[in-house]
Amino acid sequence: MKNVLELNGVSKKYPGFELNNISFTIPKGIITGLIGENGAGKTTTIKAILNIIKTEGTIKVFDKDNKKYEKEIKKDLGVVLDDSFLSDYLTAKGVNSIMKEFYENWDEKKYFNYLKEFKLPLNKLIKDFSSGMKMKIKIAAAISHNPKALILDEPTSGLDPIVRNEILDIFRKYIEEDEERSILISSHITTDLEHLSDYIIFIHEGKIIFNLQTDDLLENYGVIKCDENDFKIIKKEDYIRYKKEKYHYEVLVKDKNYIKKTYNFNTVDKPSIDEIMLFYVKGEK
Amino acid sequence: MKGLIKKDLLNLSSYKTSLLITIIFCSIAIAGTENASIAPMIICAIIGMISLSTFNYDEVSKSEKYILSLPVNRKELVISKYIIAISSAIIGAIIGVLLTILIVNIMNSVRPNNLIDLDYDNLFITSLSGLFGIALIQAIQIPSIYKWGAEKGRIQMFILIFFMVLIIVGASFLITKLGLNLDIQKINNFLETFGAYILTLLIIIMYTISYKVSYKIFIKKDY
Repeated sequence: MKNVLELNGVSKKYPGFELNNISFTIPKGIITGLIGENGAGKTTTIKAILNIIKTEGTIKVFDKDNKKYEKEIKKDLGVVLDDSFLSDYLTAKGVNSIMKEFYENWDEKKYFNYLKEFKLPLNKLIKDFSSGMKMKIKIAAAISHNPKALILDEPTSGLDPIVRNEILDIFRKYIEEDEERSILISSHITTDLEHLSDYIIFIHEGKIIFNLQTDDLLENYGVIKCDENDFKIIKKEDYIRYKKEKYHYEVLVKDKNYIKKTYNFNTVDKPSIDEIMLFYVKGEK
Repeated sequence: MKGLIKKDLLNLSSYKTSLLITIIFCSIAIAGTENASIAPMIICAIIGMISLSTFNYDEVSKSEKYILSLPVNRKELVISKYIIAISSAIIGAIIGVLLTILIVNIMNSVRPNNLIDLDYDNLFITSLSGLFGIALIQAIQIPSIYKWGAEKGRIQMFILIFFMVLIIVGASFLITKLGLNLDIQKINNFLETFGAYILTLLIIIMYTISYKVSYKIFIKKDY
């Protein structure tokens, strides 16, 4: 198995929204971040992978068709969904007794260790948990059967920075335990993914805008602020997008060192992923 | 499948107190009215209806989406709901029968001069009638819930039942109006001989059709 996930021409139409011909692959041992604003199509993509919605196109998980081998595939997947879980009217103990019926390799000891580590009460109803606690029990339930891959939909949404950091640490630990494991994580909080993911897929209005290595985005991409005369000398093939501001131009470039050398710009700023996203959406070519 | 049933049973465990109150109420009713047919019908209906609240739990927690991400297919999910619904109705009827026998025996031992004659045939047929009633409601309500959701499904079900009652009332009105001479005695004899078989067959047919409709709706549903 080379790829954990392979999407080919995946489309889904809703009134007022369309997931349009999505294709990407996630190799083994890689963390991929799926970014985009609310309603961009991240959750729809995840639901398509999990066969929760009917779509056009083909999806392979662990090299197997996600519809034909649905049950087999899901035995090796751990899933966290932002707005959905077993039931709010269960206790953490109850979750254990249910989950062990779903997964043959459910590790009860591991699950209770996670509960201890996350300081989650055993006999309190989940509906009375805080948002952070709710997310932590979802994560404990998703990783206690030692899945080969995790699919996480907005696992940090609505949480404070401390809890968000704790949760990202759990994912780092999960990957460190076995380097063949993979994660697909969707989030609209791009800073969470900057230090976690190896690749970033940017999805906007149901289309993939880019699918790039995070290091490449953060190390090589640059933003130049210049006047109109300086902007005019930059060749079209040397920049990705530009934005015309009131008194200056902002230009997103792919290789900041090359631009510095070629055009003699002294300052080329390092953009955040949010800024790169904005250039792709609002900028011009 | 076992996991799905376990989840629903754990959700339903909050109804323990309601069930206990129902049993106490029925015990008092049997003792007070000396009517042996109350308990199986009431308990069967209450437990049968309570079992459908698993759909409400799922709707409140939006759990269907999550459950579909687990190693389980849609067919198993629908089957598990029917297992819960049917077995709860049957368990309700059994509890009702056992409670009736217990209360009647206690009363007979306390008051040996005023014995209640427990007609087991009658007890069986009333339990089966209760089972038929709740099976009819469940058979209509489960597909309605799959189609319209737990809240809307309940309203649609009441509308359906209203129309069914309207049809039955209309039919009996027509029979009277047209002056059709039905031999009630013959009908009663027929029902006494074949009633239990007919009811059992109807219950099986209703659940089978209901399951097929529910599955057809659920397989096409996006979450």
